Amino acid sequence: MKYKIIVILIFLSLIIPITVFSITGEEIIRKADAIQAFDTSEAYGEIRVKDRFGVKVSTFKSWTRGKYESLLEFTSLAERGQKILRTEDELYLFYPDAEELIRMQGSMLRQSMLGSDISYEDMTGGKDRVSQYDIVLEGEEKVNGIDCYVLTMTARVRTVPYPKEKVWIDKETFIVWKAEYYTKSGRLLKEMETLRVEEIGGRMIAMESRISDKMKTDTETIMVINNIKINIPLSVDFSLDDLSW
Amino acid sequence: MTTKLAKTALRNISRNKRRSILSGTAIGVSAMAIVFLFSIIGGMTEDMAFNLKTYYTGEVRIRNIDYDKYERYNPLHLTVDWESVKDLLVDIEDIDKFVPRISFPANLYIEGSNFGAMGVGANFSLEAGFQDLDGSLKSGRLPEKGKNEMIMGAVLARDLKLNIGDKVTVMSTTAARGTNAITLKIVGLFSFPVGALNSKYFWLPLDRAQYFLRMNGGVQEVLIKVKEGVDPKKAAASISSVITNNTGKTLDIRSWEELSTSYGLMKMADMIYNFIAMFFFLLGSTVIINTTMMVIFERMREIGTLGAMGMHGKELVRLFFFEGTFISMIGAAVGVATGIAITLYVGKVGLDFTDAISGMDFEVSSILYPKLSIGKTIFVYFYSVIIAAGATLIPSKKAAKIEPVEALRYV
Repeated sequence: MKYKIIVILIFLSLIIPITVFSITGEEIIRKADAIQAFDTSEAYGEIRVKDRFGVKVSTFKSWTRGKYESLLEFTSLAERGQKILRTEDELYLFYPDAEELIRMQGSMLRQSMLGSDISYEDMTGGKDRVSQYDIVLEGEEKVNGIDCYVLTMTARVRTVPYPKEKVWIDKETFIVWKAEYYTKSGRLLKEMETLRVEEIGGRMIAMESRISDKMKTDTETIMVINNIKINIPLSVDFSLDDLSW
Repeated sequence: MTTKLAKTALRNISRNKRRSILSGTAIGVSAMAIVFLFSIIGGMTEDMAFNLKTYYTGEVRIRNIDYDKYERYNPLHLTVDWESVKDLLVDIEDIDKFVPRISFPANLYIEGSNFGAMGVGANFSLEAGFQDLDGSLKSGRLPEKGKNEMIMGAVLARDLKLNIGDKVTVMSTTAARGTNAITLKIVGLFSFPVGALNSKYFWLPLDRAQYFLRMNGGVQEVLIKVKEGVDPKKAAASISSVITNNTGKTLDIRSWEELSTSYGLMKMADMIYNFIAMFFFLLGSTVIINTTMMVIFERMREIGTLGAMGMHGKELVRLFFFEGTFISMIGAAVGVATGIAITLYVGKVGLDFTDAISGMDFEVSSILYPKLSIGKTIFVYFYSVIIAAGATLIPSKKAAKIEPVEALRYV
């Protein structure tokens, strides 16, 4: 009898950690997506584009609501008044001297935003990634001394910006510290690295990240959020009217 | 003796009119074709040079010193300070005319889709003196300074189903290395001689292009035409020293002959044209040689008779040489004259290649005007005569060696 109890205890000790503490790739991605979405947010930031001609800085103000809606308005002199509106299904550009809104679709989405390493297509990502990708938890690795899950995601649908992604997600905060974006055949297209995070309103937010387009030579884009407020009432309602105020 | 042989040759020519006319016609047609071909090539070369100088490079081109190095990245921020440069150019004696330009790749946003095109920002009042802008304007008017207007290539407008009065939103990369868009109204349609300009380009006022592209008063390039008789290379050097001395800046100032992209292309095209001409030239020579030789080979019975009557081999050779020379002199003269007449006529009405070269990025006009070269025409005449006369020597020498009895067997 005593022998049986010992066997059961050993068996349970092996099973319990797996069932209680293990986490699946889908859950990791779901949590990573969740920490990036706010009810609302208002932020001021800048985009620093480094290329063969030097560093160009563009400043912006942005608003977000939920996972899908965002409005970005450029405030730097060269682009002053230009706006990008993302709704659940569409992406629109507003230019002060253009008499019509430009709806980005198809191959237009692959164009670079302000000559940076970020494409308009990159701004359309981040929807329900769990339903769009086959997610495999590959293992664990340290990124800059931080323990991360390593996951590969292979697209199930053709509507996502990249057919294959590899991401390194913080085991504690679920911040994405590093991501690599590939073609279907495995060619590296883009790299993203989070450089600085801050805790704001009890949530960890990526404040500075570096993106580099591997199809270009000697370029990188640093995206910085200088100031962010989350879950506050907004004066914008993410409609086309917001583009021409 | 020679005079007698020459008279006999002339008599032979007039006796066998049909044979002489056929032989002379073959020589004449070849000479005419060669004269016309040389004229077309002359016209193409001159036309290409004119188009390059007028629409692409000027005779002297001024650009930012680093622009060519980074040209494939569309470095609009590498500008020429137009305001300071234009004041200096006015006082340079070698210069006849000059224009500022900004060429930029753009997307035309039409009903939700983007169409690639090339924009040109230009000062239309200066352009009027630099090129035949009014003649190129097919309909409508030129854009006005300060207004969001454009003129569009007639072929591009047709392809995009646009017309005068329509508005088009243009997107492009700016000198600030960002992007921008502006809506321009089409006020005119143009038809430049170069097909590629009509199917890809739209032109807008310089000040609007500078504003839209955030050029801050700068221009991408200044194209210059020098005065008659002035060597563009020397003019480029003197312009360069004036600008450097007055502004302290070094700009890329080169004559069109020094620009590898334009002059090199033209030289290559010239080589290709001459190769094609040489091919046709050889073909024409073959026709002349073939006709002359056939005429002699067919006259073996006559040669035998002449030999039987006591004419020596050398005399026979000379007789046929005279015949060939006289026929070719007349045939080549008629052929060259016809070639000149055709060239002069086509040189006025032009050869329309619009459909054939539509969409090709080639600096040759879609309507080509052949250009007569006196030197080449004289050369063609003497070449035809010499080739035809020379061609008589081979068969007549052979015929002269044949015994009269042997020759009489030929039917």
